[in-house]
Amino acid sequence: MTEEERNDGLEDLFRKKLEENEMETEGALTSRVMHSLQRREFFRFNLLRFNIYYLTFSLAALTVAGLILLTGPRDAEEASGDGLPQQAVTAARTDEPVLQGEVPQAGDTMKTSALRVRAATAQDEASGTVDTSGTITEKITGRETAIPHTRPVAETVKVSTVNTAGINTATGRTGPGNINPAAGTTAGGRIAADTTAMILSFETSASSGCVPLHVSFACNAEENARISWTFGDGGTTSLRNPDYIFDIPGSYRVTLTAIDSRGHASVASAVIEVWERPKAAFEVRKNEPFDEGDKVVFVNLSSGAAEYLWDFGDGVFSALPDPSHRYEQMGKYNVMLIAWSAEGCADSVMVSDLLTDRGMYIRFPNAFIPNSGGPTGGYYNLRTDEESSVFHPVASGVSEYNLKIYSKAGLMVFGSDDTEVGWDGYYRGELCAPGVYVWKVRGRYRDGREFIMAGDVTLLKY
Amino acid sequence: MMSEQHIIDGCIRHNRKAQQALWRQHSGYLLAVCMRYATDRPEAEDMLQEAFLKIYFNIGEYSGTGSFRGWLRKVTVNTAITCYHRSLRYKHNVDIDDYVSTETGTAGFEEDFCNAEDLYRVLGELSPGYRMVFNLYAIEGYMHHEIAEMLGIDVNTSKSQYSRARAILRKKLEDLADMNKR
Repeated sequence: MTEEERNDGLEDLFRKKLEENEMETEGALTSRVMHSLQRREFFRFNLLRFNIYYLTFSLAALTVAGLILLTGPRDAEEASGDGLPQQAVTAARTDEPVLQGEVPQAGDTMKTSALRVRAATAQDEASGTVDTSGTITEKITGRETAIPHTRPVAETVKVSTVNTAGINTATGRTGPGNINPAAGTTAGGRIAADTTAMILSFETSASSGCVPLHVSFACNAEENARISWTFGDGGTTSLRNPDYIFDIPGSYRVTLTAIDSRGHASVASAVIEVWERPKAAFEVRKNEPFDEGDKVVFVNLSSGAAEYLWDFGDGVFSALPDPSHRYEQMGKYNVMLIAWSAEGCADSVMVSDLLTDRGMYIRFPNAFIPNSGGPTGGYYNLRTDEESSVFHPVASGVSEYNLKIYSKAGLMVFGSDDTEVGWDGYYRGELCAPGVYVWKVRGRYRDGREFIMAGDVTLLKY
Repeated sequence: MMSEQHIIDGCIRHNRKAQQALWRQHSGYLLAVCMRYATDRPEAEDMLQEAFLKIYFNIGEYSGTGSFRGWLRKVTVNTAITCYHRSLRYKHNVDIDDYVSTETGTAGFEEDFCNAEDLYRVLGELSPGYRMVFNLYAIEGYMHHEIAEMLGIDVNTSKSQYSRARAILRKKLEDLADMNKR
């Protein structure tokens, strides 16, 4: 700020006209400010004035008084009005399962025992309830049929030999009884012949497997029965022979309910085990630049796996968790890792085109900001040259090297035969002008391959 | 008419009459102060309301040394600075127009060519940061290092903003003078 600038009287003008100026404050503004003042004072603590604290206190006192007055009669009302309806509800609930043929769940022991008691007492009325540990349940509520409630019933889940995963071996599950898997369907049929109602059963294509597990279900319910399936993971269907995919690992109880033409409900269920898959993953560690005969280390990053098989891509295999391998020569190798879980679920991962180059390269930046303090000689350290004050290549596996840099006028401002020495932006002790410079490099990699590259670099002002 | 000391004591006791008297006596002057710091009249009125609430609740802090009017003005200017900081949170940009340097002559200004209304309008057209620095330096008479501390900016920023604000004001006043001549 020079004195000259001050002398035009700008400050004086403003000071004279504005410093002691007064303005009209109209009534609306006055009342606005007064209202807001009253509001603020109301919310501030002040012993002398009626404010929020007094208001809160009196409200609280009123509430407490009101509660004391009101709670007495209300308590008495609640005590007299509560007991009776509850009884009515429980009575209605005990009737329900027998009338509708509701399915007793395996875990719901209370209800099943209640049913058994009812079955015993209802024997004279020629209606039976059969319940074997919740796997297969049949209830006949019609009066014209009678089934002895002591008849042994078997779970008839037949396991087919079809195996979608191809690794695991399916295990058959049989309940109490002596039915072999092969005769599973006929067993159901024989019992059905004795009685008017047929024992409900179904077949599954697999009882266990790796996620995602595809299972086909087939049931023997009569043609016009109403079918409903629940798959235990929230999925349901009314198809007769559904296909289902379990995509989350776990143990699922699949339940089939069939209501035949006479209104008899039958239930069958089976457990499907869905196993988790392992996750195969690995990392390759090798020297850079890479020479023939160098060891390649494979770091296993798999999870949930118990066994491994490595295919190194050159005909050599290994079952070690963390192997290392020497390749005879350079080339394109596809390395594959297969990981198995304890249940036999598999996952694989492949790294392709390993050892295609030897990790030999040379790259140049396209701009740099020279140190303004003076020439540095062009020596640099890759780790400390964060400000990129030296123009230099990032190179690996280079044996011969020659760099030349020209200004726009064609003057060669820099030359180097050493990748470790770059250009500091100075020419004969003088900082070069900011702008674009052209560079050319020629040289040889360690394996004898020749490279010639050219490009431009912008010298920026610090 | 209550005396100054009566008004102050009354305000400390939250006496409604004293509060109204304080408003009647000083609101016009303090509104004029707020006008200098605000973009327009509504903003100035908001600022004035905030300043008066501060004055009413903190009047006990007035030590009695120095003029009461000066104390009121200082509280108002501080309120303006608080408002400015608050507004900064929403407006980080400075109009590109404000950065265009303007060639200015050195001819002096005569007092008659414009009135206070014109000056308020010209000030209101400045960006808030420039207006702040200009007010504090040219009218309030603070030094640049004091302004830098109050506004939380660099001393050099204060200086450069002041000279730019000055150049813009000069240009605008010259245009105004030209228009009035015609």
